[in-house]
Amino acid sequence: MATPSRSLPRAARGRSRRERLATWGLTLAGLLAVAITLTIIALFVHGSLPFLRTVPLGEFLGGTRWAPIHEPAGYGILPLIGATLVTTGIALGVAVPLGLLAAVFLSAYAPSPVRRVLKPALELLAGVPTVVYGFFALRFVTPLLQGFIPSLGFWNGLSAGLVMGVMIIPYMASLSEDVLYAVPRSLWEGAYALGATRFEAVTRVVIPAALSGIGAAFILALTRAVGETMIVALAAGRTPTWPPDPRQPLLTLTTAIVNIATGDHEATAFIWSAVFAIGLLLFLTTLVLNTVSYLVIQRFREKYA
Amino acid sequence: MRRKLVGWGFAAVAGMALGIGLLVLIVLIATTALQAAPITAMRAVAGAGISLSLRSMEVPGTREAAGYVTVAQVEAGSPAAELGLARGDALLVVGSVPVERPSQAWEAVRGAPGGRGVVLPVAWLPRAEVALGTLRATPGGVTVATPSPMAQAGGLAPGDLLLSAGSIPITGTRQAWEALAVAARTGGAPVEVKLNRAGEEIRLLWDPVRRGELRFVRDPLRAWWGFLTTLNEPRYPERAGLLPALVGSLYVVLVMAAVAFPLGIAGAVYLEEYAPTNLLTRTIEVLVANLAGTPSAVVGIIGLEVFARALGAGRSVLAGGLTLAVLILPTMVVASREALRAVPRTLREAALALGATRWETVRHHVLPYALPGILTGTILSFSRALGEAAPLLLLGAFLFVTYVPQGLGDSFTVVPLQIFEWATRPQDGFATVAAAAIVVLVTLLLLLNAVAILLRNRFGRRWAG
Repeated sequence: MATPSRSLPRAARGRSRRERLATWGLTLAGLLAVAITLTIIALFVHGSLPFLRTVPLGEFLGGTRWAPIHEPAGYGILPLIGATLVTTGIALGVAVPLGLLAAVFLSAYAPSPVRRVLKPALELLAGVPTVVYGFFALRFVTPLLQGFIPSLGFWNGLSAGLVMGVMIIPYMASLSEDVLYAVPRSLWEGAYALGATRFEAVTRVVIPAALSGIGAAFILALTRAVGETMIVALAAGRTPTWPPDPRQPLLTLTTAIVNIATGDHEATAFIWSAVFAIGLLLFLTTLVLNTVSYLVIQRFREKYA
Repeated sequence: MRRKLVGWGFAAVAGMALGIGLLVLIVLIATTALQAAPITAMRAVAGAGISLSLRSMEVPGTREAAGYVTVAQVEAGSPAAELGLARGDALLVVGSVPVERPSQAWEAVRGAPGGRGVVLPVAWLPRAEVALGTLRATPGGVTVATPSPMAQAGGLAPGDLLLSAGSIPITGTRQAWEALAVAARTGGAPVEVKLNRAGEEIRLLWDPVRRGELRFVRDPLRAWWGFLTTLNEPRYPERAGLLPALVGSLYVVLVMAAVAFPLGIAGAVYLEEYAPTNLLTRTIEVLVANLAGTPSAVVGIIGLEVFARALGAGRSVLAGGLTLAVLILPTMVVASREALRAVPRTLREAALALGATRWETVRHHVLPYALPGILTGTILSFSRALGEAAPLLLLGAFLFVTYVPQGLGDSFTVVPLQIFEWATRPQDGFATVAAAAIVVLVTLLLLLNAVAILLRNRFGRRWAG
């Protein structure tokens, strides 16, 4: 007959073993993010070395001709950077004012039941696949715009940028709304006590107080636009042009990667190395921007929480 | 008074900003559904047994190209086959509409008055062997070698030198039939054929067009069901099928879920319940946030290099699922952490006070409590993965998969990639098919989102209460 005093230590041993196992397993899962990030960096640095050793950095970042598969080859990514800036600029021109205003409306004006319905509805915009937005830009927005701008090409940066802007609205709105909502009640009440109307309280007190958080939302929207692939691949075309013209086909950094990966030609190791170099540039850009955005938001939360 | 007006104006503008976003969503769904509508007529044509393809001929002496439509495929035993249509015939008229592009044939079927089933007159020019016989290129031009019975009945004789059909000069053996097809395109009046017989120029009025009636069944339900359940025929949009992409999407998402679900929850539990507050934890948090915002094209390169090449998985379901898992993992972690954070402190303290270890507390109390929230986040992340095309596009162009994948090692395509492939094809009809696939995908995602919202509302209330 087993007495409790004898079975207890064995059970306790089992428990502590399970405990150690769980701790180790969970720690490994937690470290996965570090592992993935390090893998990405190692892989991209290693992969882009053959390219960066051959092509001078000045030519890579400053050259205006991108033609990796032609003879003679051109490896300047300025047209790609220019195209990315054009589509990103147009997208942010749409998303930042609309997203911010929507956030202000949701957090300062909309009654609670309205807010509960409209916020998830707006988030549906972020749930639409980007390839669907690309199709919409190509088959609806471009023909619509061609009615106003006759010189607009079948592929162009303008409609890709506009539609991308709509896609980014929820990212901008959701995060801005969070920070506006987090601004303490006391600031509102202080403004009201001094005789401010709701408009004055929002624009002179609440938005300035939330400005750092709104900045972070802006940066997040920026990284979304820079990294967007399918909308530009479908609607902006695949032609590197310098200087970039939003009415004409453009080749962004992301579509340049897609172009080489899906091209009919056999991509040589060297051209793949160029893909890695572009990928590294994209990853580092978003790494810096995302980190800044994250830290700003953390600072904001600590300030008001 | 002015201050109040400014305030109202601002509120109106802000509300409008929100409205614009929602309006675009509605316009997007409505226009796509409209663009998908012709699929019923397209599949009705396919259902009658014919596939069409667009051909064009350069008209000699001009810089213009004239389009005409040939029958690329006739299904054995179909109404079209019974009528006598055969591969290589030129389809000239459907209903009362002269057909210069395949889309005009579909539009004719679509626009014909009547109900579900509709019988329309069709007119066609039989293929070259039947209509003309054998021709030979001679120094003087194109000569009739052996006229077919049909050509003989029309007045052609061996040795005739063909000069023109309609007003189109004849310059080649193949082109002679094309010229006839273009000249007969209206399907009504006989074609004037000029020929040179023994040095004498002859004008021949010849009607080489055959006519008949074909029944088309315009059934939206059958059309969509067919679209969803047939294999893909990549050349003809009226026979496009979404089945390989649907099954591919399902397989890839299952592989992704098997990896990302446990790892995502484990990562979230670590960060929320185990991690000490130190620099490492802070770094992990920053990296997770960063990975969630990494361009999906970059993740695609990782998938290609690590899973497809280094681990040797190739361009398979396995490699695709793992790539999506990397993409979705950070989102899963963030969503699961939020659910864990909503679990009240008192629950943990009660469990610990009763002598539970940390793991037991998590396993038996915290996780069950947070599960609905975690599931909500999971569904939302998975629905994002379901719409993701860029990383899989980079993993390898699975653009022409026409079969259903059978296992982890098979190559595959997914619905968003299939949409991309169709959307980039310039031929008639592929935009319609792409729009139809979008309708399917968006419906699927809306359903998933609705489930997630229901879950959140149902259990959210229980938590609060």
